[in-house]
Amino acid sequence: MNDFSELEAELKQLRPAPVSDELFARIERTLAEPETSALTAGVLPRPARPNFWWSLGLGLAGAAALLFLGLGFFAKRTSSPTQAVTETTPAAPARLTSGFQPSKLTQVVYHRHDDGLVFSPNQSEQLLRRVRYDTRQTMQWRNPQTGASLRVTYPAEQVVLTPVSFQ
Amino acid sequence: MERTRSDEDWKTCFAQLGPALLLFARRWTNCRADAEDIVQEAFVRFWRRQHSIENRALLYATVRSTALDRLRSDQRRARREAMAADDSEETLDPPFLAMDEGQQLLAAAVERLPNEQRKVLVLKIWNDLTFAEIGNVLEISQNTAASRYRYALGALRKTLQPHE
Repeated sequence: MNDFSELEAELKQLRPAPVSDELFARIERTLAEPETSALTAGVLPRPARPNFWWSLGLGLAGAAALLFLGLGFFAKRTSSPTQAVTETTPAAPARLTSGFQPSKLTQVVYHRHDDGLVFSPNQSEQLLRRVRYDTRQTMQWRNPQTGASLRVTYPAEQVVLTPVSFQ
Repeated sequence: MERTRSDEDWKTCFAQLGPALLLFARRWTNCRADAEDIVQEAFVRFWRRQHSIENRALLYATVRSTALDRLRSDQRRARREAMAADDSEETLDPPFLAMDEGQQLLAAAVERLPNEQRKVLVLKIWNDLTFAEIGNVLEISQNTAASRYRYALGALRKTLQPHE
């Protein structure tokens, strides 16, 4: 029960404009070329990363800084238990962070990616296994007197290089 | 893998399908040159992947994805997409061959259809795709394709009635 059949027949009478000879020639030329030079949207080669070692160095430096920060964080907590008391004396001016004590440090690894074997940047003969860890680190401080807490969360990437030897 | 198709094969296929491919590509651009670029890139990609020419839904899907890739590639083309979606926008080059007055009115009415309806109409009328194939090409359901087709025909008939 297609009541549009007459209209469909009229539409089919319309002829789309033909393809130009130039387009034929362009396709012929393109097909004659090696596939790698075609303007296709296939899988593109991964671009070179000239700043890779820069990134690696910065990543390692950042990871080291975070490590020291974390160590200092807990060292302060255990070595000066009376700090909060001394800072709350009336003579001392109150600062924004006064009275806060470190209370929690968490690190969640939410993605691990094994890059496989790479050559050492300094020793070209040395093979290393490179593993990247995407983490989210959270530090928390708490003021026991007021009950206020301060929490800082930030993402971090850690790159671990492990020497590999074949025997 | 050995190549089972000769150079002449693509010419035969393209001579047959080229005009309809071009008409379909023009749903994303008002410029014939841009439409030809889209068809060229899509056809070359399709042909090199050794897909069966019988799989026309895949060929049209390649045209669609190529057109969308190009439209997204820069702001200038994005503006053209907006222009193409504007129903009041006139097509720069006639998409159909020279016709009598009645056919000219019909062709003009087709061009005034909403873009989504035009795509379905083009695939159905001039490419003989089924609604299931049209749904695959446009990433819509078969029922949506069928309803857009009916809406398009209804709108055309309504437009043309005063002139008949």
